[in-house]
Amino acid sequence: MAAADSPSTALQRRDLCSRGIRLAGKMRADVVDLLDAYVEQQGLDASASMAVVEGVPLAAVERWDEQTGTQRLLENLAAYRAFRALLAQMLEEQREQLGEADTGLGRALAAVLLQVSAFAYHLEELLRLESRGIPGEEEEEEDGPPPPPRLSLFEQKLRGLGVLRELAQWAVRSARDLRQLAKPSPATGTAPGLAENP
Amino acid sequence: GDPQNLKCVTHNLHKMLCTWDASSRGRRGQTDFCYTTNDLTPQVCFKTKERSIEIPVPESSITVTIKSPGTAFATKEFVIHQKDISFVPVTPHILSLTPDFPTSTLNLKWSDNGLVFPYGLDALWQIQILRKEAMEEVTQVTYYSKLTHEDVILSWNWTSDIPLECTSHYVKIRCYINATQFVGPKNWSDWSPAEVIPGKDTEPGGSGVFPLDIVVAVGSDVTFCCVHEEDQRITNMTYGSKSYTMMQLSSRSYAIRVLNASASNSSGTNVVCRLENGMVDGSVVFVGYAPDTPQNLSCETSNFLIIKCTWKPGRPSGLYGKRRTKYSLFERISSKNVSCEVNEMNRERVCGFPVLPDQTTYDFILGVSNLIGQAQSSLLVDITQRVHPKTPEKLTVTGNNSTSIQLRWFINGSFAGIRLLCQIEIISGHSEKKLHNVSMPGGKSVSYTAQLNALYPNTKYQFRVRCAAADHFWRWSDWSRGLEQTTSEA
Repeated sequence: MAAADSPSTALQRRDLCSRGIRLAGKMRADVVDLLDAYVEQQGLDASASMAVVEGVPLAAVERWDEQTGTQRLLENLAAYRAFRALLAQMLEEQREQLGEADTGLGRALAAVLLQVSAFAYHLEELLRLESRGIPGEEEEEEDGPPPPPRLSLFEQKLRGLGVLRELAQWAVRSARDLRQLAKPSPATGTAPGLAENP
Repeated sequence: GDPQNLKCVTHNLHKMLCTWDASSRGRRGQTDFCYTTNDLTPQVCFKTKERSIEIPVPESSITVTIKSPGTAFATKEFVIHQKDISFVPVTPHILSLTPDFPTSTLNLKWSDNGLVFPYGLDALWQIQILRKEAMEEVTQVTYYSKLTHEDVILSWNWTSDIPLECTSHYVKIRCYINATQFVGPKNWSDWSPAEVIPGKDTEPGGSGVFPLDIVVAVGSDVTFCCVHEEDQRITNMTYGSKSYTMMQLSSRSYAIRVLNASASNSSGTNVVCRLENGMVDGSVVFVGYAPDTPQNLSCETSNFLIIKCTWKPGRPSGLYGKRRTKYSLFERISSKNVSCEVNEMNRERVCGFPVLPDQTTYDFILGVSNLIGQAQSSLLVDITQRVHPKTPEKLTVTGNNSTSIQLRWFINGSFAGIRLLCQIEIISGHSEKKLHNVSMPGGKSVSYTAQLNALYPNTKYQFRVRCAAADHFWRWSDWSRGLEQTTSEA
């Protein structure tokens, strides 16, 4: 049975969690707006059903409530690092395809990319708080995803749609995960260590 | 049995293949075949078991004697005149059939077999294009050439109205040679075997929407197709937001025909193929304009270091990013070429070209091109007659008494070799405005001075200055910042 947190760590965690929840909420709102603009500018059908897009982390998870705090944070961190790479690629493709004609969408995409990066950093803060090892980017990059196959333009458009849809789902899941982490433990009234299941 | 129905066909006007029948089944044994072209030449004889033989084409006629085995040797004599010999050219051989998918163009190469024919004969080639599983004829074209007594490789291109990926395309060819000297019947050769360019609908895993990510001109008619896997069905195909009637090309390929395509937005128009299993496949087409001829091309220099050319672009092409219109400035005298970085969203277009040592005359060609077309404008200019100096800076007073003031200013740029004309605007307290012109030799990034006399004592004046080329005036610089100065008391 892991020892419970000191009151200051629990306080710090609750503060980080609540700030993270607000970040996730803002990110979700911006991603939904971006999604609307993206669908319109790319001439896509918002209701189009799509195959799972390779390399996009899925927000849906089985037995969500059985996850430990560390698992939640590590899965969230891996997902937002993946989204950071995917959004950066989308931004590059956007500039290549549209050049100067890409004004609003490019800026909105860059803004969301910034939020995703900030959120990933926030998750690292949470893991550092628990003196949990943070998987280095290099570890991930070494056996990280192979370079994406050369997609046609329509496939690029669909992948972008898939990325933004899934990112919106992740923002919801992240808020739930962080709320779960912020919950005080029934016994001690202080938040449990991450290893325990709150 | 008696030899009969002797027929002779030539493929090259030199040799002819003669064939005959035997009147009854009879035992097939050794046949004696003799011929002579006229009474003077000795008979030439062969023994053969076949009922065909190749012999030279006669100038006029030939007498043939065929003695074939049977109960008694049946001998038959035939007189063949050139007019009885039919000329059927050798079936053409396709050397290569090469597809260029991005342009939906087939390139056909074949040999004209001209070596065996006399120089100068006219040859006609019929080329047949067939399509789909049913090999339906799409078109038949006649191509003309002249034989040159050499084997020449002929080449011909054909652009399909539907992408080559959509379904298999087949090509056959035959020829007719107008041997004017030959009096016998002249016929078309046989068709060559069909060469095929297989469509994606014949490839497992070849599904997709085609053409993929192309650029076309506004007003084009374009055919798109959706190739699906064996076990799938298409529910519909849309171009942009509009659904189109589908035409079946094969069991795995359906097409739509978009007429008079309108300009697409910056991210292109989607062509989407929806399948029964809910999946979608698609392509993007960019519909834009060829560049307009650049208008009002004008070039000037402000510092004899860089020549700045500007122009009016005309109608926007509607193509962006890596498909945007590209600009380059080529100077004929120096053969120097510069590519210009142009922002498609800015109305003003600018391109810089370095001033070259010992060259004042420039013969510019502004080239404009995108994937749809190209245009150009040209301009011959002497840059010493196109000087538009930068705004004079650091206007200061360097001398002042009751009736005169000396001004100094600085102009960035190298004007050595030309004279500058500068105009000083003098506004005195009585709001009286005067313009004072002064000219001086140009220098290299130097300061210039001017003395203003006949001023009123103890009077506040406002000065500003602008400059231009004294000889061959082109344009004034902008006015410098203003400077206020009061003359001293008398």
